[in-house]
Parts: sequence; C-alpha cells; structure tokens
Amino acid sequence: MSRLLEVKNLTVEFDTYGGIVKAVRGVSFGVDKSKTLAIVGESGCGKSVTVQSIMGLIPMPPGRITGGSALMDGKEILGLPLSEANKVRGKRIGMIFQDPMTSLNPTMTVGNQIAETLRYHDGLSFKEGRKRAISILDQVQIPEAKARVDQYPFQFSGGMRQRVMIAMAIACNPELLIADEPTTALDVTVQSQILTLLNELRKERNMSIILITHDLGVVARMADEVAVMYAGQIVESGTVDQIFYQSAHPYTMGLKEAMPDRDESKTHKLKPIDGSPPDLFHPPVGCGYYARCPNARKVCEKTLPPLFDVETSEMPTSPGSHQSRCFFHHKDAAKLTTLPRDLYTRHTGVNA
Amino acid sequence: MLRYVIKRLFSGLLTVYFIATVTFLAMHFVPGDPITGGKARSPEIRKNLEQKYGLDKPVSVQYVIYIKNMLKGDFGISYTQQNRSVNDIIRAHFPVSATLGIFAILICTSVGIVMGSLAGVYRGRAIDKWGTFAVLIGISVPSFVFAVFGQYLITEINKFTGSTFLPVGGWGTFKHMVLPAIVLELSTLAFLTRLMRSSLLEVVNQDYIRTAKAKGLPQLRIFFSHELRNAILPVITFLGPAIAAITTGGFVVEYVFAIPGLGQYFVQAVQQLDYTVIMGLTVFYGAFLVFMVILVDIIYGLIDPRISLSKA
Repeated sequence: MSRLLEVKNLTVEFDTYGGIVKAVRGVSFGVDKSKTLAIVGESGCGKSVTVQSIMGLIPMPPGRITGGSALMDGKEILGLPLSEANKVRGKRIGMIFQDPMTSLNPTMTVGNQIAETLRYHDGLSFKEGRKRAISILDQVQIPEAKARVDQYPFQFSGGMRQRVMIAMAIACNPELLIADEPTTALDVTVQSQILTLLNELRKERNMSIILITHDLGVVARMADEVAVMYAGQIVESGTVDQIFYQSAHPYTMGLKEAMPDRDESKTHKLKPIDGSPPDLFHPPVGCGYYARCPNARKVCEKTLPPLFDVETSEMPTSPGSHQSRCFFHHKDAAKLTTLPRDLYTRHTGVNA
Repeated sequence: MLRYVIKRLFSGLLTVYFIATVTFLAMHFVPGDPITGGKARSPEIRKNLEQKYGLDKPVSVQYVIYIKNMLKGDFGISYTQQNRSVNDIIRAHFPVSATLGIFAILICTSVGIVMGSLAGVYRGRAIDKWGTFAVLIGISVPSFVFAVFGQYLITEINKFTGSTFLPVGGWGTFKHMVLPAIVLELSTLAFLTRLMRSSLLEVVNQDYIRTAKAKGLPQLRIFFSHELRNAILPVITFLGPAIAAITTGGFVVEYVFAIPGLGQYFVQAVQQLDYTVIMGLTVFYGAFLVFMVILVDIIYGLIDPRISLSKA
C-alpha cells in the first residue's frame, strides 16, 4: 500500500545550555491518502517537534535533525534546501497551529494572509487572490466572507481566527494538513465546530490530516489511525479501534484510566499516572515509561523494548497494524493485566 | 478620525497653556530680573525701566497681560536685545535649527532602521556584535565630544587633500550641514538601532512568523511583509519625541559648529533672565513637541490597524 507520507526513524535533538535534549528518538509513522492520523501524547513528548521538523519549522540551530527520513509520495522532504522546501510547505502540506490568537499577523488583513500563499505558490494576480480568498473563507464557513476578507485578525474571535488559519492552510489544496493541537486554545463548543469542519474538508478534498493532540476524546472522534507518543518515541500505534478497544501499552492504559467519562453509569475511579516523564537530557536506556509503569520488570530498565505486534484473540490483525513498545507483547511473555472491562471504549471525553 | 484630531489638538493646547503658566511662575520665582546688572545703574533708572516693561505691576497682572498677548500670537520684545521681538528671533533662527534637525532625523531613521534590521537578521554574527559596540559608544559618548572629534578629523582630511572636503563650521550650504547633522543624530541613531534590533528579535519569534514559514513563503517576503512591518511600529512611537528633541535640542552642536540656530538664544536668555525670550521659546518648543507627538500618534493609527482613532 502506498502511503502519502512515510516517516522513518526520525531523530531530533536540541542544543541547550543544559546539554543536548533528545526530543524525538526514532519515530516512524505513516499517513494514508484522505485518512486522519492522530499523534497523541502529553506535553513535551515530542509530538509537535516531530511534525515541525517535517515542515522544516524547528529553528536550526539549536535544533538538529540527526537521522531519519520523511518520504512524501516516495520523495524525501527532510533536509531540502529552502527553495525546494518552500515548494512543499504551504503548497503540498498545509499547517495550522495551536494558538489562533498569535498565529496570524496582526497588521495584515486576513484576506491578504490567505491570498499571499496563493499569489506565491499558484501565481495568482492580486485580484484573483482576493477572489479566491473570499471563496475559501466561505468554505471554512465564515459568514459574510466578502466583508470579512478586508478585516484584520483582531476583529475575529478565537474560533473564527482558527477558521482563517484553516483557510490559509488549505488555500493551495494541499494533500496533507498538519493540525498541531488545533482546538486546545478554544472553548468546547467551538472545538467541536472546528473538528467537524476539519472532517468535512478532509472528505471534500480527499486530504490527509495529521492531528496532534493530547485529548483522547478528539482522537476518538477524528482519527483513523493513532500513534501514542511518550518521551520522544511512539509507544503504541494502530487503528483507532485497536487503540481504544484493545489498548495494549501500559501508558495508553494509564491514559485511559486517567480520563473522565461522561457516561454516568460507569463508576471507575480516575487514576492519575504517578510520577513525571523522564528527563530527555539523559533519556533512559530502557523503556521510557519504566519509572511510572505499574507492570515494570527488571528487563524494562536496561533494554529498550522494540515494537511488538499486538495479538489479541478478539480482533485479528495484520502484522504491523497494531504495535506496542512493551515486552509484555513479546510472544513468549506473560499476559498483561488488563483494564477494567468498561474502559475498553472509544467514546471517551467531552469531544466524542 | 477628525473628531480625534480635534480632541487631541485641544488637549495639546491645554498642555501648552500649562507649560506657559508653570514657566512663567518659575521664572518669576528665580531671584533677580532682566534689568538687574548692567542696565539699572540707579534706583531712578531702575524704576523707569520697570515702568517701561511693566515689571512694577504684580505678577498676577503681568501674567494676565502676557497670556492675552500670547493668545494674539505676540511673544513680546526681548529685554536684552535692542528692539528685537521674540517672534523675530524665532522666525530668523528656527528654520536653521529645523533644517538641520530634519536632515539629522532623515539620516538617523533610515540608517537606524537598516542597521537595526541587519543586526537583528544577522544576530550573533560579526555585524551584530560590532553594531552593538557602536551603539554603546553612540549612546554613552556626549555629542560635544563627537563634535570636536569630527571637526578634528575633517580638518585633518582637509589638510591632507589640500582642499575643503567639508567645512568644519558655519552655515549656508548643504556641505555645512553634513557634519553637524551627523553629530546631532548619533545618539538618536544609536538608540533607534538598538530599538529596531530588539523589536525585530521579538517579532521573529512570534507565532505568526512561524505561520508565514509554514506557508512556504520566501525569506525576503517574510522579512518585508511580516517582520519589518510589525517591528517598525515601536520605532515610530519613538520618533515623535525624537524629532522634537533633535530639532530643538541641538544647542551644544549649534554652538560648536557656529550655527545660527535657536538653541544659543535660549541659553543666553536663561542666563540673562530675558523673560520674554524664555517664555516665547519655551512655549514654542512645547507646542512643537506636543504637535509632533500628536502627529506621530495619528500616523501610528494609520499604520497599525489595531489602533482605532475614531473610537478613542
């Protein structure tokens, strides 16, 4: 199966005064055409750095991509010279960011900010650019687009600004949209609208989405495939159903136990994950989750578990589709204690 | 917009009125008066002079008379310079200070913005480090040092070439303006460079610059339409007071280069307690400063869309 974007073994480091931070440590994932991949994980796990390095947006120095590749339709897009990179970003990959309040240029009309991409990449004239900007604003459901196109970002609400950001990102019909926590800064009802919009646009335009989030509710609603990141590595990946109904890695389980459920009949107690993520100045030799894992064994401390295929009796899986970075998924290992039955559910969280 | 301008002008007038009042009072509290010393040789002469200039009246009455005349645009006649009205002094010498000042401002804004941008874009490189060093010198060394040093340098050049490359003093041609203008704007230039650099450094780290990069725009386009536009705003705010300061504050430079500007009259007037000249020039300078600040605020409102002049 040919994938739109295939990232292999991506490694990113940052030079800081305190030493070298190994922010991303060998991450591999892929996105299929017109599908959504969600990358989920807590703050500082490297999910934003991963996508920003694909886009060439991490400042270098102090950042450094020390290894790996990112193939888009089979062509390398990492480490391109700037002029080549600019043919990919904005044109083939659009990106939206977490905070729509600060991600728009305050002294430029939204119309110009959208049209600027079109004028540069597609060679549109000033007038055509403005016309297209209006129609795109219409598509992201901004009312009275014709009047709004000449307004400045400060005249828009947070949700509206995020729509403008989306309009900017999809202006050149990119094949892939990277959404880096697109709803984190928005209130819940607006979040829901933005997610609906993203889904509609994806279907209309046959666009793939990489969705970065820390919200399992958003994952449950949006994703086709999920990659769970922890301490700069992917610890579990699979389809959205596999991740939710057959959560395999202890970290994924921990996340689910820590998640409130709006179904009142379910009475499990919320259980936070004790401790904090490892120091990425000196990343652990073994499993990144070792220090917090309730199932940790001696081997986990000294040896990094590879990605094992998760085999479950209930749902047959093809090799490589559901993987977990945990020794308990070695075929000779003992069975892992499972979660309470009713936690194996997909619809969790307020955004489901 | 028009309402805003009218409102600002009105409050500006009020400010100028307060400046006039405070100066008037302060001036009269200073011991001595313009006719003490050379002129009033005996009590009789003194009395006559006081009568002539109205100094025998109580200060409150003098104040009312002065304000009345001022509103008519008449700043009175100098006490120490024979038959010279303050209006005359301003008319004759302000254009000199203003020409020099405007020339200096043009140099320092253009050079300052370019140098600050270069230092900001190439931060940490040689040009930035040397720039920072130059800025430090520009800010900390007083202008008369630069003035004398500049004169010395130009004299040496003139001696070496055997012809007058640049005159080192006097007034008249464009060439006369070059050296004093450079000396006059050096500290403002240094400050502007630093301001522009830090403002640019702040802007390049903003999220919207990352957005512009994510859009795949070329670097030059990002610099001009996203970075420069936003980084220049604080610089414009600073320009109003800077213009007023340079245009009016060049006394030392005017003195060293023997330029017939307004500055020397001001200092002379204060030394001799020449009431009318002090008052006239203070009010004139004050009005000029207030006007410049209003002008810059209006320009700022036109440039920064977030600032709405009609609602203010």
